[in-house]
Amino acid sequence: MRFGVDTGGTFTDLIVEDDGGELHMFKAATTPADPIRGVLDALKVAADGFGVTVKDLLGRSESFIYGTTHAINAIITGNVAKTAFVTTVGHPDVLTLREGGRTDPFDFTVPYPEPYVPRSLTFEAPGRIRADGSVQTPFDDAAMVAAIEAMKHKKVEAVAVCLLWSIVNPEHELRVGELLDRRLPNVPYTLSHRLNPTLREYRRASSSCIDASLKPMMAAYMERLTRDLRDNGLTGRALVVTSQGGVMDAAEVALKPIHLLNSGPSMAPISGRYFAEIDEGSDTAIIADTGGTTYDISLVSRGRIPWTRETWIGQPFRGHMTGFASVDVKSVGAGGGSIAWVDDGGMLHVGPKSAGAVPGPVCYGKGGTLPTVTDAAVVLGYIDPAFFLGGAITLDTDKARAAIEAHVAEPLGRSVEEAALAIIEVVTENMVQAIVDITVNQGIDPSRAVLVGGGGAAGINSVLIARRLDSPRLLIPEVGAALSAAGALMSDLTQSFHATRFCETRNFDFAAANDLLDKLKAQCRVFIAEQAASVVSSAIQISIEARYPEQVWEINVPLSLDHFAGPEDVAALERAFHQAHEEIFAISDAASSVEIVGWSAAAICRLHDQTTGTLAATAVDGPHERERQAYFPGYGHLVTQVRRFEAMKPGETVEGPAIIESAVTSVVLHPGSSAVRRPSGSLSISPGA
Amino acid sequence: MQEIGKKPADGVRLALLNNRLQGVARKMANTLLRTGRSGVLNIARDFSCAIVTANCELAATAESLPIHVLSGPDLMARAMKTFHPDLKRGDAFLHNSPYHGCSHPADHTLLVPVIDGQGVHRFTVVAKAHQADCGNSQPTTYMGAARDVYEEGALIFPAVRVQSNYRDNDDIIRMCRMRIRVPDQWWGDYLAMSGAARIGERELLALGEEIGWDSLEAHTREFFDYSEQRMISAIRKMPAGRTSHSSRHDPFPGTPPDGIEVTARVHVDPEAAVIEVDLRDNPDCLPCGLNLSEACARTSAMIGVFNSLDPTVPKNAGAFRRLRIHLREGCIVGIPRHPTSCSVATTNLADRVANSVQAAMADLGDGLGLAECGAVIPPAVGVISGKLPGSGAPFVNQVFLGCTGGAGAPAADAWQTICHVGNAGLCFQDSVELDELRQPIMVYERRFVPDTEGAGRSRGAHSIFVEFGPVGCDVEIGYGSDGAINAAKGVRGGLSGAAGRQSKVSRNGQVEALPGCALVAVLDGERIRSHSCGGGGYGSPLERDPNAVLRDVAEGWISPARAEDVYKVCIDESGAFDTERTAARRKGM
Repeated sequence: MRFGVDTGGTFTDLIVEDDGGELHMFKAATTPADPIRGVLDALKVAADGFGVTVKDLLGRSESFIYGTTHAINAIITGNVAKTAFVTTVGHPDVLTLREGGRTDPFDFTVPYPEPYVPRSLTFEAPGRIRADGSVQTPFDDAAMVAAIEAMKHKKVEAVAVCLLWSIVNPEHELRVGELLDRRLPNVPYTLSHRLNPTLREYRRASSSCIDASLKPMMAAYMERLTRDLRDNGLTGRALVVTSQGGVMDAAEVALKPIHLLNSGPSMAPISGRYFAEIDEGSDTAIIADTGGTTYDISLVSRGRIPWTRETWIGQPFRGHMTGFASVDVKSVGAGGGSIAWVDDGGMLHVGPKSAGAVPGPVCYGKGGTLPTVTDAAVVLGYIDPAFFLGGAITLDTDKARAAIEAHVAEPLGRSVEEAALAIIEVVTENMVQAIVDITVNQGIDPSRAVLVGGGGAAGINSVLIARRLDSPRLLIPEVGAALSAAGALMSDLTQSFHATRFCETRNFDFAAANDLLDKLKAQCRVFIAEQAASVVSSAIQISIEARYPEQVWEINVPLSLDHFAGPEDVAALERAFHQAHEEIFAISDAASSVEIVGWSAAAICRLHDQTTGTLAATAVDGPHERERQAYFPGYGHLVTQVRRFEAMKPGETVEGPAIIESAVTSVVLHPGSSAVRRPSGSLSISPGA
Repeated sequence: MQEIGKKPADGVRLALLNNRLQGVARKMANTLLRTGRSGVLNIARDFSCAIVTANCELAATAESLPIHVLSGPDLMARAMKTFHPDLKRGDAFLHNSPYHGCSHPADHTLLVPVIDGQGVHRFTVVAKAHQADCGNSQPTTYMGAARDVYEEGALIFPAVRVQSNYRDNDDIIRMCRMRIRVPDQWWGDYLAMSGAARIGERELLALGEEIGWDSLEAHTREFFDYSEQRMISAIRKMPAGRTSHSSRHDPFPGTPPDGIEVTARVHVDPEAAVIEVDLRDNPDCLPCGLNLSEACARTSAMIGVFNSLDPTVPKNAGAFRRLRIHLREGCIVGIPRHPTSCSVATTNLADRVANSVQAAMADLGDGLGLAECGAVIPPAVGVISGKLPGSGAPFVNQVFLGCTGGAGAPAADAWQTICHVGNAGLCFQDSVELDELRQPIMVYERRFVPDTEGAGRSRGAHSIFVEFGPVGCDVEIGYGSDGAINAAKGVRGGLSGAAGRQSKVSRNGQVEALPGCALVAVLDGERIRSHSCGGGGYGSPLERDPNAVLRDVAEGWISPARAEDVYKVCIDESGAFDTERTAARRKGM
């Protein structure tokens, strides 16, 4: 038995895979003050569901896989350790400058952002290494010791060290580490060349500072999580989901907590890849997770999940770039709680402001007054007000109508229904543009990709999104409302090893490249050997970060070879690069050589035989509405059949107009679209036109 | 003229269309940014992408350098139409002529007419990118001292058909390769522009097919009306008034000994909902490279206006209906006649114009306008050229090691790295490691300099200091740093930012001051020291929140002495705020 848990903003989702490979989904409220409590609550719900105690349940576990937003929340709320930043002498403003850049060029209401670590906690380390690794100015112990004493005086709780060119020659960084061990023995620190050996000092410094600042608290958190689970009977392995979409041991991740930044959202594409493959036989997919406030988009491209180092905490250029490899997830302010408003020129906007969980949409009746996407869906008849969250909340349709009337219908001179449709239409376009942005950046043609809708609110407008994108298929997995938790069960134990070495194909240094690859592969093999007992199978994936000469932005290109025997292998590398460049940017320069800046090897250990991804059948409780009035663009009110998601049989087809609903979701099939239930339980929807 | 107060036809279609057109422009820009070869394109983001209507009205722009884009795409599209009445699908036009709508000759632009299935010209997409080299007589794209376009030396392309039927005219490509110093880099950037423009074309064709060309055009007109309405609302919120402000450019080679003073007269008329900017009362063109092109003169005035307005007002031909920009032919900040050189039109005098306009707006009332931004181009953002040690291959590249200059704003401290007002901070700042890898240089130091901000209620940007030099070879560094004499002025009682300056340190440690505009030979082991200009402050420093001053001291932005002398905020020995003495000092004024 295996457990996947995802602590989200509102709900803690738990997916249990039983020994037959069937899945069971449970939810409990997230408890922000003490998220581990919410995890234990979800386990209690599951134990009750199976009719056993939590101890019995956890005692049967092979592994417990946990995704959490705890690390990112700690940063956003400023609950991280007081951290010192050690930089090369003469370069104190690395974190303040970032890499420059700004958005909204005419907006002068936003002041320059603060650095991640204040300038008053920045210390300049003596010595300077050159680009070729030689020493320009030697290190000076006495000067560094003085700086460490100053840190002690300021009572710093963590230290991040990032010196120029430590990726080529780490001597000075290592020396700072030794002095810290001696002089500040109980203060955790991070050395940039160990954590994130990548070119560009800001990215390395930023990732090191983020990592160090999380160490004291995430170490304690991981320790408590593991202890509480063990106390409650866990015998299997406690694993945590990483930003790269893999899993690591909880104890290991406590030493490198930056891996946790995107824990959770990084799992959605793992699920998406699985369902796109088994339901549609497609290796390319767009995974869109609709929440209350945000719409998170990730991708699967020819079976691979693209990643990026350019992930921002907060807004681009105004927050902090992590500089650390993470699954590429684009998040925009569009969701069920997005507020609709009309500006003084008469244009309708939806979002990015959200009604959030409190007060929530108007129809929740908890004090919200501004109309949201959810209110529009209720007015249009897409959501059954009596069956929301399985009837846990009764929605107030009249209030939703009144709010849309006052804030949208009236100013636009439309009926309430047409105003509600307009809200759906505008939020759909916002979502479509966000998908277009990320697919352009990763070179995916949406008309050749399966669109996978996750999150409880995905069903409201996903057919419309699929139509706008020309997607051939829309997939709503039955576990869609807990896509990340399900992904946790499908993920592999991974560890990536990186090295920075500049190399040009025109003048290829075979010995250096092979030597470097051999070292990376050896690191992978050591990691794989350590996992031996629990691993079903393993693989090593080599990739490069490369560019054309004079370009400054590298792209990631996986290689099918792991050794360069002769010029034909270099030519193969060039071909792979040209092809990747062509795919992403629609152009390539076949006559040009290629510059390689970074080399990576990922050890991938499969922990399980493939899961079924299928929810265990549950009985449909009570009588159920068979049809209701719903309002559709171009048609107006139509008598619309209503079906229960879990009651549809595999292979059964439903033609739109229809609504397919369950306790956790409501899928709208517009006229012209149709859905068929796949054996996995997913709804496979042909969007029509 | 649109009836004031009229609601547009359909607020929903507006939102959708706006989103679609912006999306196309953004897709073009993403492509150009990530595929360009020269640092000036992919680091400084010195490029732009825009969509103009068949009538040559600016419809949508991706987030682009303001100086590139507010006016220029319209003028260039018009030149293309005038010279080529026989536009065909598959055409592309190379344009860099400042006499026909381009900003300056280094800004190579590709214009692609979007022709529908019936052969009707519907839109024009524009991709423009500043080149690392454009064939000037010296290895720099900023020829401040050029007497005329002949001495400047750039190849000029007045909307020249460079592609037909989606194929390059190889004659033109070969001409460029023979004349541009880094032909492969140019070719890479040309490919990137071509890719961006063709993506824009493809997307617009799909959009037109999807919703119908006529309704797309109708929507575009509606969106212009909507934008005009937003502009009307924004102007209606401003006080009426006429103000003017002057800003003086430092003496450069080719200018009078006291430099060039630029004056902008601004008239805000809320009743008519119109803003007028008059630049006619300024000197005639000079035999140097500082003259503005028409595109830059018009755009710089518009930047000053839009920097002072609600930032959510769309920037397109609809909003522009509410602007009157008055230019004069033969004026240094007006419409230049061939062969006047406009080599440096996008920065120096253009910035003086934009700064004058926004400072004049500030005179209209508290809460309006902006202080002056610092001037450019310091050596740390100069063009480095030389021969690589080892291979001896020539290289030319602009580095972006540090420029600041942000202006204090009514309600926010400056954005430090605004670079210059026409750039608006979009420029990236180079990674030291990346620069040391890309060219044979070493960056010894880079840090903000305390006490260099334009003091004010909102403070201007600090100077940034950069010390760098070649390693293993000799290089030349070209730059043109205005603002050594005429620093960025504050407004409404705000003080000026620090002036820019630069010097060279010889191998034996001797320091030699350098002029504001030069092409300097720097030998192996020598070092350049570059101080960028600070930005002006907004409002009196005495109005600055004492807690903000305290924070500035604690974080090393200003010294305790400056806190006391300039902000009149006193700090006791423990670093805490001395309320009584501060109150006394502030009252004592």
